[in-house]
Amino acid sequence: MTVALGIIPALPLAGFLLCILLGPRLGKSFVTAAGVGSVGLATVAAWTRLIPYLAGTGMPVVERIAPWISAGSFSVDLSLRLDPLSGLMVSFVTFVGFLIHVYSIGYMRHDETDAGYARFFAYMNLFLFAMLTLVLANNFLLMFVGWEGVGLCSYLLIGYYYEKDFAAAAGKKAFVVNRIGDFGFLLGIFAVFSLFGTLDFDGVFTRAAAEPTRFAPGLTVVCLLLFLGAMGKSAQVPLHVWLPDAMAGPTPVSALIHAATMVTAGVYMVTRCNVLFRLAPQAMFVVAVIGGVTAVFAAIIAIAQTDIKRVLAYSTVSQLGYMFLACGVGAYVAGMFHVLTHAFFKACLFLGSGAVIHALGGEQDVRRMGGLAPRLPVTYRTFLVATLALSGIPPLAGFFSKDAILTGVFAVHRPILFAIGLFTAGLTAFYMFRLVSLTFYGEPRMTPEQVNHVHEAPPTMTLPLVVLAFLSMVGGFLGLPEVFGERANRIAAFLAPVLPPVFLPGRAEAGHALPPSTEWLLMGVSVAVAVGGLLLAWKWYAKEGGRPAAKLAASFPAVYALVVDKFRIDELYAVLFVRPFEWLARMLWKVVDVLLIDGVLNAGAFLVELTGDALRFLQTGNVRNYALTFLLGVVALVLIVFGFGGM
Amino acid sequence: MITGGIPLSDVLLASGALFVIGLVGALLRRNAISIFLSIELMMNAANLTVLGYAAALHNLEGQVVVFLVIAIAAAEAAVGLAIFVALFQHTETIDVNRINLLKW
Amino acid sequence: MASLTATRLVFDAAAGIAILFAGVMVIHRNPVKSVLALVVSFFALSIGYVLLSAPLIAAVQVIVYAGAILVLFLFVLMLLNVPEEARQTSDRPIHRLLSSAAIVVFAVALLSVLRAYGSTASPPGTGAATAGPADIAAPARLLFSEHLLSFEALSVLLLAALVGAFALARRETHP
Repeated sequence: MTVALGIIPALPLAGFLLCILLGPRLGKSFVTAAGVGSVGLATVAAWTRLIPYLAGTGMPVVERIAPWISAGSFSVDLSLRLDPLSGLMVSFVTFVGFLIHVYSIGYMRHDETDAGYARFFAYMNLFLFAMLTLVLANNFLLMFVGWEGVGLCSYLLIGYYYEKDFAAAAGKKAFVVNRIGDFGFLLGIFAVFSLFGTLDFDGVFTRAAAEPTRFAPGLTVVCLLLFLGAMGKSAQVPLHVWLPDAMAGPTPVSALIHAATMVTAGVYMVTRCNVLFRLAPQAMFVVAVIGGVTAVFAAIIAIAQTDIKRVLAYSTVSQLGYMFLACGVGAYVAGMFHVLTHAFFKACLFLGSGAVIHALGGEQDVRRMGGLAPRLPVTYRTFLVATLALSGIPPLAGFFSKDAILTGVFAVHRPILFAIGLFTAGLTAFYMFRLVSLTFYGEPRMTPEQVNHVHEAPPTMTLPLVVLAFLSMVGGFLGLPEVFGERANRIAAFLAPVLPPVFLPGRAEAGHALPPSTEWLLMGVSVAVAVGGLLLAWKWYAKEGGRPAAKLAASFPAVYALVVDKFRIDELYAVLFVRPFEWLARMLWKVVDVLLIDGVLNAGAFLVELTGDALRFLQTGNVRNYALTFLLGVVALVLIVFGFGGM
Repeated sequence: MITGGIPLSDVLLASGALFVIGLVGALLRRNAISIFLSIELMMNAANLTVLGYAAALHNLEGQVVVFLVIAIAAAEAAVGLAIFVALFQHTETIDVNRINLLKW
Repeated sequence: MASLTATRLVFDAAAGIAILFAGVMVIHRNPVKSVLALVVSFFALSIGYVLLSAPLIAAVQVIVYAGAILVLFLFVLMLLNVPEEARQTSDRPIHRLLSSAAIVVFAVALLSVLRAYGSTASPPGTGAATAGPADIAAPARLLFSEHLLSFEALSVLLLAALVGAFALARRETHP
């Protein structure tokens, strides 16, 4: 029995409706059953469909649910697509999503009212519905619907604690910045339609591949526009500003949306359109550069942050940069591989940080943590595993995916980008281990009551941590580099049908294999850099309590202040964009609306009043005046009708 | 035209004169009842016109019309005078210049 | 010029009396005298109606108009004890001026229109029936056949007027 593809997003949608409509009345147990159960069922449904598919040929399966729009030459259907790429996404979106939902049961249970609890799970379910729609869509328009849906849910969930001004503002900021990207995406969709006459993926990509010379000139603009959308959704510089502020939402939200799934939608979209991008080399170059710049930029900021979730947020931005770097050099497989492994270890890290915050009763500043390793054993160990994975230590997952990216960059002869990537890897290991040291090692720096209150999280929270840590350990084996054997890179083989050959006359396709010795050398170099960063962080923070870092910061106070302040980008935007916009809004209000529009209306009313005031003198109340007016009218009529004949 | 010897123009002249006289009374008298009387006069002038044409055109329908008009005038007079009576009970005057409650 | 038959002479005389007494009615300040003058005028008109081959109407005029309506007027005048109209007029001059002008213009227009239309010949034989000299039955026959609906409606109208007059004129006894 084959599960219809439409069931997979429909189940979380049903969960959303149940939680939002009946949840507040029926209590937390109902919401848990409906909200988590729907996701669990969706995961089961997805994997029931995926497992047979994995064994098959990898041909795409298209299921048309219903016709949607049909207007003249423009027609778009509600149709879903299962192919290796969407299958990969669905596999971890559902599973990691399910784990995070389970985690949320414990995390959200105590603090929230029934209504708040229901609202949380309702929005989470709605998010999964939108995300699955995005991933399974078979045309640009349906993907855009999902795209907007995840943006909406991001806003709703970031602003979950809406009574806090900062959270509400963060939600708004996320939505507005996303919107800028969405604008680009929408323009890109229009451009795609005007170029190809259809929005179906099959239609667009086969046409593009069949006649590359015809379409290539226009594709640069199209791809840049599409990438603008990806920049907004995946928090690339300069549209990255919303992600750190988004940490105001509950931690499971940060884990699900801002680490594992929504932010990777941009990478997914670019990979989905790889045919188009590969025909527009300049666009790909832009993608790679922005990816690289973002990676190093965010990593630099991360080393100076003191909020545990903010470090992870900037880390996410940085890792997303890596993914786009991969896409930009044509290593799409490496990019998607990193999406997968990043979902595992970043989700694990966020959930772990949530457990820490929960144990400390809400404390998020690492300067007031410390000494938690013996007190939170499971949390500490899973966090450590995920950190090592993120830092790229073999044989954990992150090593293989990051190595694949760096190898890809090297293979296309981009030394500057390679250096940036390598340097960032070192920074990544450094700031992550700094975080671990400050949080878990050394003497406790919290208040005594907090120390007493520290307790390990309940099993609903620790079990997902363990599962994710395990996946971070073994996930890498899906994509072993070719030095380990011809068929070692299983994920590359799996994704191959999505990356058809595309030939631009005059440009050779990159992707020639590197000699094994170079590959081993690169692996060795990246491991060395990662280990170096780790050791430095361990020395500075675990052994010497952060003093060397403090000394360094004191020697360059201006630079340090700039880094801590995230390079003051938000302030720059405030001056460049926010304040002029506020001025414009105020102008439109005070001048146009109040003065002009209301003024015109009031003037009209005043005129009517004036006329009435003048005309009332006709009402004399004297019957004979009225009779006289009668007569005058009759005289006029007679003269008009009969003329002055006879007179 | 001649009908039993009476030229139509004579009839019309007479009715026209009566009508104008009635008009003068309606506009220039201050007594409400006198105004009403003048209006009755104007109606009679109209009756005369209709009868004149009825006779000239040998059409009896004119007489039917006049009959109905007279009956209607009776009804109208009754109601009108009732209004005057009611008005007088309130205002103690029938000088129309002083009955101006609807004045601005 | 038409011939001066006896009928015509009598008609002109009656019309003249009607006009004269109508003028008296308009001029007199005593309302009772106005009504009486109008009575005379209506009588004269009634004579004219007879000469116009409408004896039924003439009778109705005397009975209903002069005999009922104007008598009703007299009753009301007596009831309200209406005084003479004062000599000084409370009219505003503009009203008198405009009224006079309008009346003059109207009169002239009316006269010319009536003269123009009064001399047109009309085809013989138009109408429901030929006018016999003193035929009361003919219009009555018309009234009860073709115009029966109007006739019956008239009765309803009179009833309505009766009720209305009654409702309007009674004194408010309850507060």
